[in-house]
Amino acid sequence: MKISLNWLRNFINIPEVSNEEIIEKLTSVGLEVEAVEDYSKMYNNIVVGFVKEKQKHPNADKLSVTVVSDGKEEFKVVCGAPNCQQGKKVVFAKVGAFIPAFGETLKKAKIRGEESFGMLCSEKELMLSDSHDGIMILNDDAPVGTEISKYFGLDDCVIEIGITPNRPDALSHIGVARDLAAIYGKSINLPDDKVIEADIDVNTVAKVVVKNSIDCPRYAARVVKNVKVKESPEWLKKRLKAVGLRPINNIVDITNYLLYETGQPLHAFDLNMLKDNTIIVKSAETDTKFVTLDSKERVVPKDSLFICDAEKPVALAGIMGGENSEISEKTTNVLIECAYFNPTRIRKTAKKLQISTDSSYRFERGCDPNNVIYVVNRTAKLIQELAGGEICKGIIDVYPEKIPNKVIDFRLGRVKQILGFIVEKGKIESIFKGLGFKILNSDVNSLKVEVPTFRPDIEREIDLIEEVARIYGYDNIPVVEKISIPMKSTVDESEYNDKLRGILTSLGCYEIISNSLQKKELAVITGNPVKVLNPISSDLEVLRTSLLQGCLNTIVNNLNVGEKSLKLFEIGHVFKQINENINAFSDFTEKEHLMVALTGTSINDVWYDKNRQYDYFDLKGIVEELFSKLGFNDISFAKPEHHYQYMKNQFEIVVNNKIVGYLGIVSANILKKFDINQAVYYAEIELDILKSLKVNIRKFKELQKYPKVIKDLAFIVDKNITYAELEEFIYKNSKNILKFVKPFDIFESDEFGKNNRSIAIRLEFYDENMTLTEEVVEKEFVSIIEKVRNKFNAQLRGEVK
Amino acid sequence: MLDTIKKIRQEAHEALENIKNLNELEDIKAKFIGKKGELTQLFKDLKSVEREKIREVGQALNEVKTFIENTLAEKREKLQAQQEKTVDFDFTLPGRHYNIGSKHLIVQTLDEIKSIFKKLGFSIYEGPEIESDFNNFEALNFPADHPARDMQDTFFVSDKFLLRTHTSPVQIRVMQNNTPPIRAIMPGKVYRNEAISARSYCLFHQLEGLAVDTDITFAELKGTLVHFAKEFYGSSLKYRFRPSFFPFTEPSAEMDITCYLCGGKGCRVCKGTGWLEILGCGMVDPNVFKSVNYDSEELTGYAFGMGIERIALLKYGITDIRILFDNDFRFLSQF
Repeated sequence: MKISLNWLRNFINIPEVSNEEIIEKLTSVGLEVEAVEDYSKMYNNIVVGFVKEKQKHPNADKLSVTVVSDGKEEFKVVCGAPNCQQGKKVVFAKVGAFIPAFGETLKKAKIRGEESFGMLCSEKELMLSDSHDGIMILNDDAPVGTEISKYFGLDDCVIEIGITPNRPDALSHIGVARDLAAIYGKSINLPDDKVIEADIDVNTVAKVVVKNSIDCPRYAARVVKNVKVKESPEWLKKRLKAVGLRPINNIVDITNYLLYETGQPLHAFDLNMLKDNTIIVKSAETDTKFVTLDSKERVVPKDSLFICDAEKPVALAGIMGGENSEISEKTTNVLIECAYFNPTRIRKTAKKLQISTDSSYRFERGCDPNNVIYVVNRTAKLIQELAGGEICKGIIDVYPEKIPNKVIDFRLGRVKQILGFIVEKGKIESIFKGLGFKILNSDVNSLKVEVPTFRPDIEREIDLIEEVARIYGYDNIPVVEKISIPMKSTVDESEYNDKLRGILTSLGCYEIISNSLQKKELAVITGNPVKVLNPISSDLEVLRTSLLQGCLNTIVNNLNVGEKSLKLFEIGHVFKQINENINAFSDFTEKEHLMVALTGTSINDVWYDKNRQYDYFDLKGIVEELFSKLGFNDISFAKPEHHYQYMKNQFEIVVNNKIVGYLGIVSANILKKFDINQAVYYAEIELDILKSLKVNIRKFKELQKYPKVIKDLAFIVDKNITYAELEEFIYKNSKNILKFVKPFDIFESDEFGKNNRSIAIRLEFYDENMTLTEEVVEKEFVSIIEKVRNKFNAQLRGEVK
Repeated sequence: MLDTIKKIRQEAHEALENIKNLNELEDIKAKFIGKKGELTQLFKDLKSVEREKIREVGQALNEVKTFIENTLAEKREKLQAQQEKTVDFDFTLPGRHYNIGSKHLIVQTLDEIKSIFKKLGFSIYEGPEIESDFNNFEALNFPADHPARDMQDTFFVSDKFLLRTHTSPVQIRVMQNNTPPIRAIMPGKVYRNEAISARSYCLFHQLEGLAVDTDITFAELKGTLVHFAKEFYGSSLKYRFRPSFFPFTEPSAEMDITCYLCGGKGCRVCKGTGWLEILGCGMVDPNVFKSVNYDSEELTGYAFGMGIERIALLKYGITDIRILFDNDFRFLSQF
């Protein structure tokens, strides 16, 4: 909300305090100043200019070249505005001036070949209004050379305060002044609300019936007759413009002015447009069409609160008036509405209709029900001053049940318990008094505090403690430099994932974080996705069911920028809907997954090696290494029970006899959808399962004391025989001196026959208790060869016929 | 013979002085003390020397031999050292790289923050991203139809369940599942229904903090956060606490530090204020304690929360938040 400091100073007498200090203090009590527009400094180098000459621009039909005087010097200025005329006084920005609308400082320019030393400005360019009907033409008596800020009286400093939702009281100049009063120990000056009433009794000219006093606890009205609707005086327009409002006419401007002064929203009705001069406050029984002041027809939901006349709605209570009863130039009699509406009701309607007005914004946060009389009087008084007319005698005030001030017991000891230090009782009392609270009772240990209705946020002792802290100053609260920690074991639920990250990065993988919100058509491939009811766009309408889509999006984005080789991993949650409606946590699953993906080349154009494409075994190696480093010894890969349609060559990863995930190659059909035309090797692991598996502490294996004997051999076997089968057979059919078997060369050749391949195997023999003799090893070696030959119909290489 | 020995010594001395490389060294060795070397030959001739001179000649021979051997060894060492200094391959070629990957920048930032709090004895908890309205709002003292809910644009998956808008619901879970004293941080992903732009993304990361005990005070909250900020941003940092509003804390505050880009003079990043907001915090509201059946007369607590993306963007000078989620390898490989 915008606050004019000139206006603010009307309510609190602190001439010795600078604007800078006010800004700092407001921020320090929680009214955070987010922006400052100091007009006195903003318009440097912008002066009243005189157009001495005007000629057509030689190279552009719509431009003219002028000579502008600032009283001392003459400047050549190119201007594009059609209303620029010789002999007129204009707003002239010199080179070096800051043009607010551009956010830039003006430089000497060449426009279509003609030099220009400055510019002639419109109201919009100086952000004085939205008007852009050419440049500003000033009165002929404007003194040439005068700084524009002086000429317009723009010496105000306007600040933008971010008001938190708990502080509706601060949504006005008086409210902000009240916090300053508490800080400086002053009281605020409220303008006089004494009205001079005519003889006509208000009850003879208007009638108010409130049918729903829950949603409208108070409705007050005054009538001013025979007013003259016209333009507001300059001072009023200036105030409104300063806080960002557009002046309309004197009556409407006065209601807006008082809203910004007091925080109380008002509405002025053209009394003549109200059927039977009657106001009826009631709820809409059905969804009702209604045209608001902004000429928009809206469907107002059932149960919303309407202000009606004897036959029709005339205003959407607390939100916006109706077009049918708005103040116009023809208006002569005005009914001023000053009411208190139920915050929840206003909020529900405003939210459904997606409108937020100055009025609804305040009502839904909570106005002061007990200030309406003051405000309605101030309004009537100001209307009479600026629009003439007679104020009818009396106020219509429908207020069946008075909303009382709150009384809160406040224990002084509690301040130390919460804040950690003692605040003197006298200081506390003066803070409360400064804020406008009453101390009803005060003893050694406690206070009884009465909080006025303008502070709906203060309901409990803790809220009062915050007020003490706030005004005392958070920065004055000491900083504890020592804490005591109980000797209780700590938990780190992120530790396991951090370990995974450590291993995977050391294996060369880069971590990605992809969007969990995705396109539905792709998410359904990997499961039944949870839908977002109010997505930002159809591209982000469901939650991911797997980490695959994020991975493929990442790959395609990288391919598009020429990054073709990637080794990636991601740890993230995936979600699947189980039941049709989500009413409980059991209606969906949320699990943590890990994915690892490879694409492109492993070795990429280096001087010391040949390029090599990633393949299945790169991925398998990473997975094996990962589990080994996690401490698992029992890892295997199995043909899947359930083959995912989006995977090719898919295998289940089995750790300690549990399936923890799968790996394989992403199906070409899926890659096509993403426009990826290179192989993607992909593994996805369910971390919840993995984390549940027990890791046994590895026991130390004695180091070998005696030399091992290495024997290599190569078999030619049928391609259908897997290496694993061979290995398992060898282990099972050998003596325990065979300690280790590994393949070291796999080879296909026409020589071996189409269906065969060569597998070279290394065997390592070792005995824990003695040096093996050549004979023992040879005997075992030969025996293994014989058994393999017989079992698999294998040929030992070198014996090929 | 003694003269011959003397001559040999002289020759050997000169040859050894002028030695240039290891090959020459081997030649000299062969010439004098090799199998057919001149000195070796003299040793063989020793038996023909007169008896009474044998001792003298022998000593002379041995002395020369030792001299040659020692000098050779000395020269060999020098020449070898010299040889090792000369490079015979193109050492300017780049080395063989064994790439280590990297954690995502957000995770790296979280790691730094986590480690500061871990040292203070904080536990780390995580929570789900689909939350109940109760945990995300109600238990945290956001009543239904309260304007406070507008502070956080929410994605709903049903009328009772939503994508958590902050990590604060993990506070509720931690309090429900543990008994005080509690000191914990809770990092995680959160979601906001905001248009994606350079400044906002529909998801980001937060880190929540919570302490509950019989004697937790605002002064301790300040102390803890000042410690954190000094560890993270440097010990010379200036800070301030401003009153603010969060439904789940009372009193509530926001912590600002001096803008480290302009040193507090005011710049684009700090919007001319000279301050950067880094986190929100406050004392746990009694209504929150009530929702987890804690007695707010007996227990007090504080909570705080910070956005990780904001911290990372400022720290690394990134101006567009989307780059964090594009996962462009040219970005990933920088950190």
